[in-house]
Amino acid sequence: MNSDSFDPEAEKQAVAPDAPESPSRREFLETTGATVAASTVVSFATPAMAQSADTAAPRTAISVSVNGVRHEVEVEDRWTLAELLRDAIGLTGTKIGCDRSECGACTVLMNGAPVYSCSQLAVWADGAEIRTVEGLARNGELTPLQQAFVDNNAPQCGFCTSGQLMSATALLAANPSPTADEARAALVGNLCRCSNYNAIVEAVVAAGEGGVA
Amino acid sequence: MRALSNHDASSISDAVQAAARARAEGRIPAFSGGGTDLLQQVKDGTDPANVIINLRSVDEAREIEEGAGGISIGGLATLAQVMDAAAVRTRLPALAQAAESVGTPQIRNVATVAGNMTQRPWCWYYRNGFNCFKSGGDECFSVNGENGQHAIFGGGPSFIVHPSDLAPVLVAFEAVFQLAGPDGEREVPAAEFFVLPRVDPVNENVLGESEMLARILVPSLAENTVSSYYKVMDRAAWTHAEIGVATVIQRDGNAVVDARVVLSGVAPIPWRLRAVEEFLTGRQITAEVAQEAGNMSIGDAQPLANNRHKLPMTSAAVERAIIGLAAG
Amino acid sequence: MTQPTRIGLEPLETIGNDTPRIDAVERVTGAAQFTRDVKLPGMVYARVLRSPHPHARIVSIDVSAALALPGVLDVITHETSPIVWGSGCVSGGRQYNDPIKDATIHRRYIFNNPVRCVGDSVAAVAATDRNIAEAALDLIEVEYEELPFVLEPEEALADDAPRIWPEGNMCPDTRNQFEPMTSRIGDVEAGFAEADRIFEQRYETGFVHNAQMEPRCALATWEGDKLTLYTPSQGISNCRHDTARDLGLQDHQVRIIAQYMGGGFGNKNQNQDADLVAAELSRRIGRPVMLEYTRRDDWLGVHGRWPTVQEYRVGVKDDGTVTAMQLRGYSGMGPYRKNSGGISGMDYYACPNRLREIYPVYTNRTTSGNFRAPSDPHGVYGVESIMDDIAYEMGIDPVDFALRNMRRPTEEMQFTNYLLEEVITTGAEQFDWQARRRVQPGSDEGPLKSGAGFSFMMFRAGLGTSSAVVRVDSQGQYILYVGVTDIGPGAKTTMGMIAAEALGVPLSRVEVVWGDTDRTPYSVGESGSRTTIMTGYAVVQAAENLKRQIADRGMPDGADVLIGTATPVPTTDGLIRQCFAAHFVEVEVDMRMGTTRVLKYTAVHESGRIINPTTARDQIRGAAIQGIGQALHEDLLYDPRNGQPLSPGYYRGRHLTHQDIPDIDVTFIETDDGYGPFGAKTAGESGIILAPAAVANAVANATGRRMRSLPITRDKLLQEVSA
Repeated sequence: MNSDSFDPEAEKQAVAPDAPESPSRREFLETTGATVAASTVVSFATPAMAQSADTAAPRTAISVSVNGVRHEVEVEDRWTLAELLRDAIGLTGTKIGCDRSECGACTVLMNGAPVYSCSQLAVWADGAEIRTVEGLARNGELTPLQQAFVDNNAPQCGFCTSGQLMSATALLAANPSPTADEARAALVGNLCRCSNYNAIVEAVVAAGEGGVA
Repeated sequence: MRALSNHDASSISDAVQAAARARAEGRIPAFSGGGTDLLQQVKDGTDPANVIINLRSVDEAREIEEGAGGISIGGLATLAQVMDAAAVRTRLPALAQAAESVGTPQIRNVATVAGNMTQRPWCWYYRNGFNCFKSGGDECFSVNGENGQHAIFGGGPSFIVHPSDLAPVLVAFEAVFQLAGPDGEREVPAAEFFVLPRVDPVNENVLGESEMLARILVPSLAENTVSSYYKVMDRAAWTHAEIGVATVIQRDGNAVVDARVVLSGVAPIPWRLRAVEEFLTGRQITAEVAQEAGNMSIGDAQPLANNRHKLPMTSAAVERAIIGLAAG
Repeated sequence: MTQPTRIGLEPLETIGNDTPRIDAVERVTGAAQFTRDVKLPGMVYARVLRSPHPHARIVSIDVSAALALPGVLDVITHETSPIVWGSGCVSGGRQYNDPIKDATIHRRYIFNNPVRCVGDSVAAVAATDRNIAEAALDLIEVEYEELPFVLEPEEALADDAPRIWPEGNMCPDTRNQFEPMTSRIGDVEAGFAEADRIFEQRYETGFVHNAQMEPRCALATWEGDKLTLYTPSQGISNCRHDTARDLGLQDHQVRIIAQYMGGGFGNKNQNQDADLVAAELSRRIGRPVMLEYTRRDDWLGVHGRWPTVQEYRVGVKDDGTVTAMQLRGYSGMGPYRKNSGGISGMDYYACPNRLREIYPVYTNRTTSGNFRAPSDPHGVYGVESIMDDIAYEMGIDPVDFALRNMRRPTEEMQFTNYLLEEVITTGAEQFDWQARRRVQPGSDEGPLKSGAGFSFMMFRAGLGTSSAVVRVDSQGQYILYVGVTDIGPGAKTTMGMIAAEALGVPLSRVEVVWGDTDRTPYSVGESGSRTTIMTGYAVVQAAENLKRQIADRGMPDGADVLIGTATPVPTTDGLIRQCFAAHFVEVEVDMRMGTTRVLKYTAVHESGRIINPTTARDQIRGAAIQGIGQALHEDLLYDPRNGQPLSPGYYRGRHLTHQDIPDIDVTFIETDDGYGPFGAKTAGESGIILAPAAVANAVANATGRRMRSLPITRDKLLQEVSA
């Protein structure tokens, strides 16, 4: 697996400034008044969890790093990683298109490698480093890949975009100057029903070193 | 998803013991390497598992090692590992090609060799919840239904095709599977791991309850052995093989000393073409020989109403696989 | 970036310049909030139980065990909630007309009894979390009396076929008459008498699901008697009106919020049953309800393009002039007629004698409805297949055959402008048609055979009513209020660009407020490729209105603002307004594997003036690729014995991936006919119309075999080759 370590500066950021704040996150910040650092242990109950009356569902406490922020969280064993990210942590940039590993909208990086978060249980992410689309931009500054997506009209409806970005981010980490064919091979697990494939590949190639935007 | 519990296994031994324990308690365990397909089946209700034995927490059985006797591949090695491993790429190119042809990068990053080998059939009746042989029922709905993707060899009473791309390659390499169960370990030749529906209509392999595929040993190949995996899909990626051809040939000069030709996607198990292998032995591979091998490959085929197109495909695929390997 | 080739017009100040979407950053950072991303305090989740049978009467439903599950708040069924979903089954497929909805005798409810296809809604559960809601579905006990079913439209018309509706299986028209849709021009029998040769052929096309990435969902919440619906709707104004009518409310009592949405391609027009189910559950339990469709729910419970059978008869003179065209068509509408069932394409020809009879037929397959150019790609495939065969049979280049026979302006029928010949000849030249096509189809040696095909079209670009509001403050900042959603084509950006151009200010000075019926005026909706020309024209007029006010009164001072509005009713002065296109495709067919690979694809479009070349280019490229998928892969297979769908979803559907498609070359021939916003015409739908025909013709040219059924899958191709 290719590793995708975060730069230390970014790790100090509690929440990427561009990340939409989830109610749970906001609630946490308000109740503690803390500036959350990467090393801080974050623990919170989500509205969904608080309301859950299905006491029969087994639960497990896990520790997972998401975009450089460590979360100590109790999950239902049946939750997918996508559910953890979207519902409990409030990072809704990760989309669920098929919930069956057929479309790729839910792609996130797990320890640097693209995975379908709809097809991973949240408990399996215990101890893992997860990176989502909200973890790409730093201090409001887009990554070259994100900027290339903007410049090349890579998103149409935008629903598959997060997944395409995460697969492409992993590609660029391993291969800074991919060809169009290499981009197609790396992103083949990410469907786009707007079928904006040409533009997405153009964006990925443009984002590579020596690429032409 | 319905309620289930996850058990992080600490070792292979712990995993199989935990599975046995769950079974004894009346629950239904399932091993999870990458988990991608397992979760689809649990969500769809086609797999009744309610205890997931998570193997990510297991440190053993992940390595790919080359030793004096051959190459050892942990059952928990990922397909991404297999396709990237230098030993596999240089010694067992067919296996690297097969691994690379599976699914998508997201799947290969988590999917394990053992999981690929033991994945359930992708028959649309089984996967859509029909109460067929594979679900414990007593009918194969493809027989009088839509059987365009079903078996032309070895079918009956179920006509599923085995979905693994790695399996025919490992059969062709005459690999040995190490199985671990609550009662200890055992070894089974790859070809004997998979069973026809006429032997066992429910299960595709000999794994016992709470037993898992722990390791695969590919014995050292003779000098001048070449191999390839040729796969035909309905789109560029993320489908199972319409047909796959694993070919392993040992040559002396231009003449074939020994050959293995094993198919995926056309039979309920990896389908070995012994007649083709014997025909190739002692011959030089020419266009005519490859064509004849292709023609011979469907000698035993028994197509259903809608899968006759698999016959010319199989001939063409075998011919191309052989000629491609000879040329490469 | 691969920019489209553009011929004809120079860019204006803003319009015509490649412009990144004004909301592109939100789309690449995860900040764009789609409906499922919304969370409201106290929100609960809902799931729908669907019929496992293709046709069955519900004898009884027992929801007590489901209600007893901790966390379950409510279960609704046809007994508790007999709500008519007006746009779900409308006689004649006319979706936009209240009197027709009132008149129709075949009413679709949010839960129906009998259930008429696998996937028909039976009940819905609200619970405190989605997993509990899902678990509760298993606890609803339904006793069904299974009924006989029928899957194929022609079989459904047989006298002894199972009746899906009491009157039989022909869909009624707007007058509740059970007649085929008939269009008669000239005297077709006289035309055949005049012909030297008569050709006959039969074609079939499959069900193609819209397969938009975002499955349907709806979040409903009530404050008193006002309903707010967050829902991915392509037309918030229509969705509001439909929802109000279906729930017995006034329009102002419904607020629709639909900003970012994950595609629709016609799947999210009007309101959907999900909207009504969420609203009903929320009303009953007094909490916000998020109803999420699973992918399977979406595949089987919403709709896709109707499958068809098309039987053509064409008369031709020895000189290649078509004298008569006849089509008898059957469209499988599923059990509810959600759209017309139309089969178009014959109207691209000048032939004076034409007869078209189309039978929209109920079947027990999943429902058919709008998918991008609803009546066109399958029809053009049929027409262009027989025309292509005729051309080669008579030794005429298909391009010449088209130029000889295609519709042109006449004394009686004048166009605002007419570019059909230009798009064809330009495309033929750019594609190098003569070099790529095989004069003798199938003449390549060896198993890999190449060939080329083409098709052409004209598509409505008529004008219509929509509204816009523009406001300016004393700082010179403009706010444009338009009731568009942004389904993918980039309407929000396009509307901003049109406003900037019309106001004479940079785009950065225009903020766009969109996607919320309480904050924006009526808009026609993101369907029928009408937003740019209709709402765009309203934007121009609102800007003109505002500029007149500024000219009269000067810019506003202090806290004052000026507001320009417009709801224009534009006409084309009796002229026909069409956009035009021709597509050229080269394929390579592996005759031994039955696989088809698209090698080269050239699309030439005339869509008037192009507002934003970047997004227009990608409308054409994306639509063409969807059309390639329709040509080669997509279908929904059913088991004939038990009426069960076997291949829903992206894996079974073999939807095209990054590695399956070539670069699509796009050329725009730009014109300004003096109508619409700065001369803009339609674009979004037109790109999909030609791909299936052009690909099928290319396959015929490569192989020398005519594939008479879409999709052209390997099994069909190999069967044809071995025949």
